[in-house]
Amino acid sequence: MPRSSRFVSLLVGLFLCTGAAAGDIDAASYGFPLQNPFEATIATTPPELRPDLPDDDDIVQRDYSLRLRPERTFTLPGNFWPVKELHYRLARQAGTAPLIFIISGTGASYSNGKTEYLKRLFYGAGYHVVQLSSPTSYDFMAAASRTATPGISQDDAQDLYRVMQAVREQHADLPVSEYYLTGYSLGALDAAFVSRLDETARRFDFKRVLLINPPVNLYTAVRALDRLVQTDVSGITNSRSFYELILGKLTRYFQQRGYISLDDALLYDLQQSGERLSNEEMAMLIGSVFRFSVADIAFTSDLLNQRGLITPTGYPMDEGTPLEPFFARALLCNFQCYLEEQLVPLWRARNGGGNLEQLVRRISLYDLQDYLSRSRKIAVMHNADDLTLGPGDIGFLRRTFGDRLTLYPSGGHCGNLNYRVNGRAMVEFFRG
Amino acid sequence: MARGALLVAALLCAPLACSAAGTDPDGFKRPLEQLRFNPALGQREFERSSLATLNVYDPWESWNRRIYHFNYRFDEWVFLPVVRTYRRVAPRFVRSGIGNFFANLGDVSNLLNSVLQLKGKRSLDITARLLFNTIFGVGGLWDPASRMGLHRQSEDFGQTLGYYGVPGGPYLMLPILGPSNLRDAGGLVTDFFSAYQINYLDFAKTSSDQPELLILRGVDARYGADFRYGQLNSPFEYEQIRFVYSRARDLQIAE
Repeated sequence: MPRSSRFVSLLVGLFLCTGAAAGDIDAASYGFPLQNPFEATIATTPPELRPDLPDDDDIVQRDYSLRLRPERTFTLPGNFWPVKELHYRLARQAGTAPLIFIISGTGASYSNGKTEYLKRLFYGAGYHVVQLSSPTSYDFMAAASRTATPGISQDDAQDLYRVMQAVREQHADLPVSEYYLTGYSLGALDAAFVSRLDETARRFDFKRVLLINPPVNLYTAVRALDRLVQTDVSGITNSRSFYELILGKLTRYFQQRGYISLDDALLYDLQQSGERLSNEEMAMLIGSVFRFSVADIAFTSDLLNQRGLITPTGYPMDEGTPLEPFFARALLCNFQCYLEEQLVPLWRARNGGGNLEQLVRRISLYDLQDYLSRSRKIAVMHNADDLTLGPGDIGFLRRTFGDRLTLYPSGGHCGNLNYRVNGRAMVEFFRG
Repeated sequence: MARGALLVAALLCAPLACSAAGTDPDGFKRPLEQLRFNPALGQREFERSSLATLNVYDPWESWNRRIYHFNYRFDEWVFLPVVRTYRRVAPRFVRSGIGNFFANLGDVSNLLNSVLQLKGKRSLDITARLLFNTIFGVGGLWDPASRMGLHRQSEDFGQTLGYYGVPGGPYLMLPILGPSNLRDAGGLVTDFFSAYQINYLDFAKTSSDQPELLILRGVDARYGADFRYGQLNSPFEYEQIRFVYSRARDLQIAE
């Protein structure tokens, strides 16, 4: 009798630990080498564990541009000339093929590393691929967004949908068999909203949609990212700032190695050396990258809408104008500040009131729960140690997606995107 | 009795077993809880560090910014289309041969500056590279030295000046060539003339008769450089390039 109850307790323990859903990948069989979420987020997968991908020379691809907001040609200051038209990249297969749209993550443009990686992956699997900038990217804000105040997911989805249709029109001769959609990080949240929009508009009738590491509660996610720069990093002094500290480590590391090489394995190798970065340092690095994105968003949104928060209204600007004062002011603004100073006021003005909590519910995955739970064509891949998630978020994903959730035990935020196992799973999902 | 104790143990144990791995019942690992946060709320270290990056001596900023925009356009309208054509007409092995050839020529100035900085080991390495690549690599078209573990190490006269303590001086955006500063721009000119004097493999003299060789060198350099204007995707790209350039040079000089 005692033995059987011990057995029961073991079962209970196992059940509580691993959860019940079918989509959980256990750590032993997964084999992703980086257990540290911060390391995974920064270094991503070691080169030898990445999938084999087609070379740039073997991909027929070009950048194109769309003129979606012609009025901005006159209203944008001279130094914005490169983003008066929205650029995107199309890689085309020789004959008829399915087409996949990829939506980039927070602040990222269509040509950024992760989007490029996904392009190669899907191109190698036989898809035409269209790479799109995130609605939070400054080129998208300037050239394609109606409000130039990204964050209201429904609006961002409409802007994206308009861009996708324009892309399709620009390449009306491209023989497409069917349409697919994916996005990572914030792009995954966008993809979910675009997919719902498409259910009524029916321009593409996406066959399958994959959400990769989406934020569940947008507010939880941005607060977590804001918090990353609050870590206690030892070694910072009055005369040595955080960046100086990191650069010092890098310099010593290169001196020991004897030569400089900035390759894919750099961070991985650095972490094996005596100059390895601590969790706090890595967290602050990740947080800093996001803060630079927010600075771009806050500055661009303020300038385009002439809100006068960062750049004085009507400030004359041309290609020679120094922007340091505005950059400095924008750097002081974190996600919370952008939300409070720009996004919420816009939303309140348009909806005749409402509070932050209501806004957060509207623009997060919660708003789509019904749609996501009954739409079998949508799946989600996430990591148990993703930095943008909060307590209960994975529970929400389990309830909403059921067996369409694949939960990896490690990978941090998008660090395992380019792991062979994940690459294979993505391609297989779309193949059906 | 024993049963009751075991049940209690089980109840205590199950959550313990889970929290040992730091995992919620739904599988969430709470990654941020591993971190040590500054107990004083709202530290401003990110802001302090980042604002310091704006502190690069740039008295000719307005002019530099215009050159930056000129370079951006030149890149989009001239350089990159030429590189695309180059990619299309020249097979991969030709491109890599050309790349290796110019890299081998560049090793002469790497060697010269390495000697000027009295770096013994590095000078020997670069000498070995030059010999292997010129002899076994047929004038530098192949790069057998890198395969033998002799990595390419770049040294230029700007670095040599920096090594002896010459400050960078004002930041300078050079037309077509891109970010630089007064010291490094001077170094560039010096390296160019010393290459002309040394005239390794008779390239410098030949190219003065046949300027298309210099153009090819430029195209090869652009083909090999993994940088695009607009790549940082920020309205503050100018400031970011400026900071990265000055810090990258410091790193190269220190190394």
